[in-house]
Amino acid sequence: MNEPLITFDNLAIGYNNSPVLSGISLAIARASFTAILGANGSGKSTLLKTLLGLQPPVAGAIRVAAPVVFGYVPQFTQCDPLYPLTGFDVALMGVHRRIGPGRRVPAAERDFTRECLRATAAENFAGQKFAELSGGQKQRVLMARALATRPEVLVLDEPTAGVDAAATAALLEFISQIHQERQLTVLLVTHDLPLVRQHAQQVIWLHQGRVLHGTAAELLTRERLAEIFEMEVS
Amino acid sequence: MESLKALLSPDSLFRNSVYTSVLIGFACPLVGVFLVLRRLVFMGVALPQISSTGVAVALSLPLWLGLKPDATSAHGMHVLAFAGALTFSVAAILLLAFMERRGRGLPEGRLGTAYVVATALSILLLSKNRYAEAGWLDMLKGEVITISNFDLTLTAAALAIVLVVLGLFLKEILLVSFDRVMAVTLGRSVVFWDVVLYLLIGMTVSMAVLSVGPLIAFGFLLIPPLTAHLFARTMRQFMIGSALLGGVMSFVGFWLAYQLDWPVGPTDVVLLGLVYALAAAGRSLWIWFRRPVR
Repeated sequence: MNEPLITFDNLAIGYNNSPVLSGISLAIARASFTAILGANGSGKSTLLKTLLGLQPPVAGAIRVAAPVVFGYVPQFTQCDPLYPLTGFDVALMGVHRRIGPGRRVPAAERDFTRECLRATAAENFAGQKFAELSGGQKQRVLMARALATRPEVLVLDEPTAGVDAAATAALLEFISQIHQERQLTVLLVTHDLPLVRQHAQQVIWLHQGRVLHGTAAELLTRERLAEIFEMEVS
Repeated sequence: MESLKALLSPDSLFRNSVYTSVLIGFACPLVGVFLVLRRLVFMGVALPQISSTGVAVALSLPLWLGLKPDATSAHGMHVLAFAGALTFSVAAILLLAFMERRGRGLPEGRLGTAYVVATALSILLLSKNRYAEAGWLDMLKGEVITISNFDLTLTAAALAIVLVVLGLFLKEILLVSFDRVMAVTLGRSVVFWDVVLYLLIGMTVSMAVLSVGPLIAFGFLLIPPLTAHLFARTMRQFMIGSALLGGVMSFVGFWLAYQLDWPVGPTDVVLLGLVYALAAAGRSLWIWFRRPVR
């Protein structure tokens, strides 16, 4: 296993000083592919928000080995369809970190954004209105936007929610591919166990206030699943 | 054509009013675009009214302080009224946005209450101000009558500032409006850029209320963006379309009102509403004709 990039040190997360989850102590290795699993309301989104700095930890700390750039991929449903933006406009937002306020986006960054759209196979529909794209197409544009940030860590919050099965498989295949090619650290929130089994190396499972951490091979066995859900798993 | 020449002739009493109307018609939709995109349309209704309460409070200040009206010049009163409008609108937008982010209570209820209380308070304050000119009450009802060169210059300067700041920082304001989480991960301060946007909205609304009254301000803040949104495919089209529509309609509205001897404010707003209805109907027809035939 690679050196730890992100370490949760006795972390408690929650809102208004009320912890949803506490005692989280685990490390995420550089260039690893980690899936975060858990039922709705288990604290997955709160964990991501805390990691991204959107809300402070209730207790404990998150240590990052070096300053890292997060490439964030939300669910496409979080993007308001009211905005008249093309796929390219949305992807271009990814380069904003490298451009000071009040400055125009240079041609080189526009070209780089096009490269990212090409890499996610979103180039052909990038000129269309983002709100009018299909779920899978939107997700590809959002992936391109995340890649345009030149990230070290790719954080994906249920990127396949509302996307059909074929597009989901293609998206996960693509995420796996760029994870290997670019040595990105991937944190993926999902409900899709078969895809996690296929692509993820590590699993963080949030279940009824407990945090289970291990490899996919360890955690996603029939016995462990039965133990977690206290039921027979077929 | 003759009436148009008369309206714009150098010695026309209404020339400055036309220019001010067009400036407001052009600038209000530019910030109104963000009220529409952030789904803060009700804020667009309440803000001009709250801003006019600021005008009423500012104009009542000399009376409360025991000053005679001639102690302050007309220009001084105008600046004082602008300061009152700006203070009230920026304070209101910050407070309402803060309460919205806390996510408690009923936002529509807060805005509705703010609107109706502000309306009543501004009328009450001005009706009890024995020094208030009848013109101020006309202004609060949306009557653009005469506007001095000083007022026109102040309006143009304030709106130029709004235009420059919006032009320079559009990508930052758009990013924090569209995707707050992404903005934070990119190291942008959401609160800072929100405040910049609110200041621009506050400044535009204050200037508009002071120059043309809350009725026209509200009309131009929201109706041109709502109309342009029907057709816009990019942000550039949306913003330019809204501003052009607002500018052109304010001029046409003023000219119609002059021709037909109607009050300017209501004429402008009804015209905008008519254009919006026609545009929405036209778009629906266009979609209906282009539907795939089975």
